[in-house]
Amino acid sequence: MGANGSKVTAQDKAILDMKNQRDKLHQYQRRITVLTDKETDIAREMLAKGDKERALLALRRKKYQQSLLSQTDSQLEQLEKLTSNVEFALIQKDVLFGLQQGTKVLNDIHKEMGGIENVEKLMGESADAIAYQQEISDMLGGRISAHDEDEVEEELEALEREVTGKISQKLPAGPETTLPDLQPVPNHEPVHSAAEQPQKQKLEAIPAS
Amino acid sequence: MAAASTAAAGADASSFRFPREYSFPAFFTRQTNLTTHHAQLSKWSALVLAYARHHRIFRLGLSAAADSDLFYNRRLDRRLGMPDIRELLDFMKKDGRIEYASGGNGSGEGEVVFVYWRKPEEWARKIEKYVEETGQKGSVLTVYELGEGEGTRGTEIHGIDNEVLLKALNVLVRKGRAQIFGQDDSQGVKFF
Repeated sequence: MGANGSKVTAQDKAILDMKNQRDKLHQYQRRITVLTDKETDIAREMLAKGDKERALLALRRKKYQQSLLSQTDSQLEQLEKLTSNVEFALIQKDVLFGLQQGTKVLNDIHKEMGGIENVEKLMGESADAIAYQQEISDMLGGRISAHDEDEVEEELEALEREVTGKISQKLPAGPETTLPDLQPVPNHEPVHSAAEQPQKQKLEAIPAS
Repeated sequence: MAAASTAAAGADASSFRFPREYSFPAFFTRQTNLTTHHAQLSKWSALVLAYARHHRIFRLGLSAAADSDLFYNRRLDRRLGMPDIRELLDFMKKDGRIEYASGGNGSGEGEVVFVYWRKPEEWARKIEKYVEETGQKGSVLTVYELGEGEGTRGTEIHGIDNEVLLKALNVLVRKGRAQIFGQDDSQGVKFF
């Protein structure tokens, strides 16, 4: 364990010391609580025996132990406060370190970008290029709208016709292919074929609407 | 699983339900048939682990255990003899389910065993999970605090045997997930 001591810092050891102290206080409190309970029992026992002196003594001891208990409580509080302060300071240190690293990286990136003048220059150039592009688009766009707008709209209409035309052509094709398949079965019984006739008429009526 | 064992810990200590075999007299006699004997040992092993888990027993004193209801069925007036207990423990040791505690406080070698109803590796995972869930990675905890402190109250780790706890922590140390430092009686552990 000692060979791998690099990961444990002096702060860790200090924190451990404090926490150990806290544990010891905890144990002490536990012991005293047991003792006070015992003193109460003793006092009760002595009273039953009629030994008032001893009962009083036991109760005094109990009172004293209780005062110790409240003292340890406040000590414990101090210790815990200090421990959490140290731990928090360590975290603050980490945060500071993180901020430092971040700032350094940010500065490095800024350096790579070559300062504000460079960015300004670049932005100016890019604005020029955009304006130029806009000019070209305007020129080309103006010519197209005069010449070909009608043609474009005509093509759109043709496409629309094609699309809707295809749908109206497809609709009647459905019933025509399925119905003949059904016919062979009812052929044996004329009653059914007669019932089928109006059905066929109905199906043919659909595409017309 | 977690809920089941905490419920068991909270239940009345006397309410442990012994398995069917426990009320079967032959269970307490060493079986001569090899296959039967093996089955007997497996059943006993399961019983010991379940018993220890129920009562949260981490270390078992053999002479005391031989007289407890674990090995002594008073209703049947049958008990598992000491040689049979030793044999059972050797059997469990091969499975890594018990370990003889190195003799110390007056008791001779081989008198006390650790019962691993949860192996140190499993405890290590529990501890690591606890540390992760409470966001205490990178901070220093005392060994006392892990086993007895307020932080672990209500978790399964609370009340763990100190030596078992140290064994579990050493598993984490070997994996490089933790480091133990400080003096012997006031050790701390830092998790990574």
